[in-house]
Amino acid sequence: MPEVQHKDDERSQLRRLKGLRARGGAHATLAIVVPLISGTLLVLQAVLLANVLGRTVQGHAPLSAVWPMILGIACLIVLRAALGVLAEQAGQIGAERIKFSLRRELFGHLLDRRRALGLAPASGAVTAALVDQAEALDPFFARYIPAMVNAAILPLAFAAIVVPVDWLVGLLFLITAPLIPLFMALAGWGAQAATDRQAKALAALSAHFADRLRGLLTLKLFGQADAATVAVYDASEALRRRTNAVLRIAFLSSAILEFFAALGVAGVALYVGLTFLGFIPIHPGLTLTGGLFALIMAPEVYNPLRQLAAHYHDRAAARSALAEIEAQFACIDTLSAAAAEAPAPVAAGPAALDVRNLTIRTETGRAILEGLDLSLAPGSHLAIMGESGIGKSTLARAITRLLDHEGTIAIDGTPLAAIDESALRKRVAFITQRPRIFFGTIAENIGFAAPGAPPTAIRLAADRAHVSAFADMLPDGLDTRVGEGGEGLSGGQVQRIALARLFLTDPGLIVLDEPTAHLDPETEARVLDDIFAFAQGRTLIVLTHARAVAVRVDKVMTLAGGKLFPTAVRHEDSAAPSRGHQA
Amino acid sequence: MKALLFFAPLLRPHVRRFALALALSLITLAAGTALLGVSGWFLTATALAGAVSFNLFAPSAAVRGFSFIRILARYFEKLVGHDATLKLLSTIRQWLFGALFPRLPLPDRSLRHGDLVSRLTADVDALDEIVLLAIGPLLAALILGGVMSAILFALLPAAGWIYLSALLAAAIALPALLAAATRKTGAALVTAAADLRTHVLDAIAGHDDITLFGRKDYAAARFATAGETLSRLRRRQALATALTSGAVAALTGLALAAILYFGLAAFAQGALSGPVLAGLVFGVMGSFEATSAIVRSVGKFGTAAASAQRLHAIATLPPAIREPARPVALPPGTDIVFENVGFAYPEGEPVLEALDLTLAPGEHVAIAGPSGAGKSTLLNLLLRLADPQQGRIAIAGADIRDVSLANLHARIALLSQDSPVFFDTVRNNLLIARPEATDAELFAALATARLDNTIRALSAGLDTMVGETGATLSAGQLRRLCLARTLLSPAAIVALDEPTAGLDRETELAFLSDLPRALADRTVLLVTHAALPAGLNLRTLTLARGSLTETRP
Repeated sequence: MPEVQHKDDERSQLRRLKGLRARGGAHATLAIVVPLISGTLLVLQAVLLANVLGRTVQGHAPLSAVWPMILGIACLIVLRAALGVLAEQAGQIGAERIKFSLRRELFGHLLDRRRALGLAPASGAVTAALVDQAEALDPFFARYIPAMVNAAILPLAFAAIVVPVDWLVGLLFLITAPLIPLFMALAGWGAQAATDRQAKALAALSAHFADRLRGLLTLKLFGQADAATVAVYDASEALRRRTNAVLRIAFLSSAILEFFAALGVAGVALYVGLTFLGFIPIHPGLTLTGGLFALIMAPEVYNPLRQLAAHYHDRAAARSALAEIEAQFACIDTLSAAAAEAPAPVAAGPAALDVRNLTIRTETGRAILEGLDLSLAPGSHLAIMGESGIGKSTLARAITRLLDHEGTIAIDGTPLAAIDESALRKRVAFITQRPRIFFGTIAENIGFAAPGAPPTAIRLAADRAHVSAFADMLPDGLDTRVGEGGEGLSGGQVQRIALARLFLTDPGLIVLDEPTAHLDPETEARVLDDIFAFAQGRTLIVLTHARAVAVRVDKVMTLAGGKLFPTAVRHEDSAAPSRGHQA
Repeated sequence: MKALLFFAPLLRPHVRRFALALALSLITLAAGTALLGVSGWFLTATALAGAVSFNLFAPSAAVRGFSFIRILARYFEKLVGHDATLKLLSTIRQWLFGALFPRLPLPDRSLRHGDLVSRLTADVDALDEIVLLAIGPLLAALILGGVMSAILFALLPAAGWIYLSALLAAAIALPALLAAATRKTGAALVTAAADLRTHVLDAIAGHDDITLFGRKDYAAARFATAGETLSRLRRRQALATALTSGAVAALTGLALAAILYFGLAAFAQGALSGPVLAGLVFGVMGSFEATSAIVRSVGKFGTAAASAQRLHAIATLPPAIREPARPVALPPGTDIVFENVGFAYPEGEPVLEALDLTLAPGEHVAIAGPSGAGKSTLLNLLLRLADPQQGRIAIAGADIRDVSLANLHARIALLSQDSPVFFDTVRNNLLIARPEATDAELFAALATARLDNTIRALSAGLDTMVGETGATLSAGQLRRLCLARTLLSPAAIVALDEPTAGLDRETELAFLSDLPRALADRTVLLVTHAALPAGLNLRTLTLARGSLTETRP
């Protein structure tokens, strides 16, 4: 049963692969058709060559009578070489189109992913799927498919052309050419399974190697360096011995191909020779030209099959690549297209926030937030404190619709689910605890917040967020390249770039998660001045540990046991009237 | 090229296997050439001879013999070649591990970076293919071509020159030209692929920011641009390869036409017999099988050279941490002293400044502090994964820089934040810490990590496969497995970096409460930002802005 299942999987996978081929467009078709034309020209070339030799050697024609034919051969050779270039390039362009369109689709999928509490997708595996595995599809489209079509058509066509010259040779070709795949399949049923197992073992070993490589430091610290080095060699050697046993059978199918190809040449040579000598009275009128033509065509009949065999592993590689891509992207749950039925108009000015009976659970069902209520009047400033890991960031992510929730969250009186995505993002800004610095310059990273922001606006935002303070010391200033996750920047610098992003936007509700965590007291004070200046006339929620932040807001609450509790901060507390918060 | 020579010693033990594979491939090609040549000669000779006495035996035996040799030689060539390649692969992998271990941690703080791991794996594979796929066809073509040229020089000197120049151009000049032309594109391709990778990583790790600022279009456009660049470069490289391939085909083909012309001229003058002419023409056609394989292998050669360069660079890195020239033995004892320690990452702000910390033997100390404050750095310094620029660290009175690394590491067990679970059984994952541990000891360690019941409930128990693709355990449970591994280690000092990450609060509290008892006779340095349970008898310090302050428990 599993065997049948396996066959079905393989078939549907190949169907999906071939389905992708349509994305290659006309180029992919050209890559298949051009070699067929080239094959036709090859027949012409063989006819000319056989004639030149036959006429001169047997018919004693002078060189002057055949040199145009030699010229013809030369022209055909150059033409076929050019067609080869054309076919290869067309195949590559087609394959590039397929990969590009697939990658774009998958990347879109990645951007639309639904956010849940758990971990982000394994970035390494997804990246490998999108970049490396997609690349592994290349030879399948660029070479395997054209080779497959050629192998299906050319041997039979060549054989059919030889029939009028000598029906017996033609028949030999006609019978053996289709027989080869049959015999290969017969030897191959065993061999293919063996090769698949072998490919799997090789992949497993490669994975083992990569796995140990990843944990190399741990092995070293536990004093396992020598043991691990020996182990990797032993595993490799064990696989080699197993592989050799498998390959002895697997290579039989290529030996069969070789057998027929050699048999074709030898058989034609002996048959034609014996015919000339009069030992075989089947085709007494055969000329040298005819015999030579048959001999030239003999290896060519089997050549497309040989090409196919050479690219056969591309098929297996593409299948496993596709399986890996599908596996990686199957775990990514995408957001169903924009939820809002009738987008509510975007309000201006400070936003009102109303949270009722908010509950958020982990995958295991444990409640992080349970029945939480919160109401913020437009323009009020709230600090939320609480132990690490108590759920502050989870609350912020729910309010900014990065997480699904139970209960209701309403902004300006509209439930979160009913707000149009782009309207929501304009209305609500959220600087997370670990903002991402994208691959690019500092200026690009700030301008990211507002499409089309002029350089002067970016400069201003950078000044306000004290980004310029460190950027100006760098050789290229704001145009310094940073990236791959903010390498070369400290946590505090990353935080300041994120604040500069905020200053470029015009939100009604601002949510900040530990905006000053990495800053020294002086910078912290200056940054806070700027944050609160910007937050004038806007609603603000700050998640923080810092007392310096807590003393500046209207109201401080503490998150504990899944709910918010009002908290007294020692001084100034009475000075700031609590605007609109629900006790 | 120089980098490739660096790897020659690895090849030496396998030279005989590769020589055998090469010889077999040469026999295969030669038999194919001879088969066609003799067939052409035989056909023509019989056609001219008519029914008169013709010695059939020798040529027909030769034809059958060559075909048989070709079939056998091809079969064994593949077997021997694959065996040699796999053997070389074993050697290279062993070598790479041996070269990497003393150089850990690598300077760009990134063996854990998935990218480097996949690159190393690919580089090893590329290097492994080079002999069989890149050097083999070139040598075979040159040897076979040389023999063919000699035959032509003997029988048809004018054609000999044409054939030899076509051969040298097809086997050496054109591939060299291609290699030179694609070197820049090759380097650009690596960069373009890396850029594309970065955009994907940005989209995953920066997903919140992209969503929050409503910039999916921007991310998609950047990705598309990078993808287009990659495609354009690949097309350019493919075009260069295709053009070279076409040039080789045209060149060898034109040589054939020229040989045909000169051969016919010689035949007309009676210098060459008809059958020999036909035999030569067919033989030359057959010999082109060897040259057509070269161009495809040039690409592999370039890849392998680049791979060799990268591996060479890693293998010749100076070790980040220097072993002492004359190591002293670490005296028994588990007290730890950090004295005036200062540390900054290269081109970074200082992380630790004039830090002092003393741990009495058997003392348990917890270090709290904001993320990024340098808590993990502190542990790394203790294990000499980096050396402080200022001050000293001593264990049992010995400066850890005077002790051999193996000696130091045997004294301290570290649970780092990114401790890996290996793709292996639960048992083997644990045994890494103490190879001779009994099952009872394994379960004791698992019990402290609160994982014993989970493992017992698995049908294969300790023999369950875990790791990246083994989905039997959750992320939190895998973390606890790493913790159990660290606890199992016989080391007298235990350094734990966020041991309870991935645990829910209840389990976290239970674990922290157990800790004093489970590690009663060991010195423990615990880094955590979890709130510690009240009543826990643990000295707690806070690390902030480079130095430590006592916290009230």
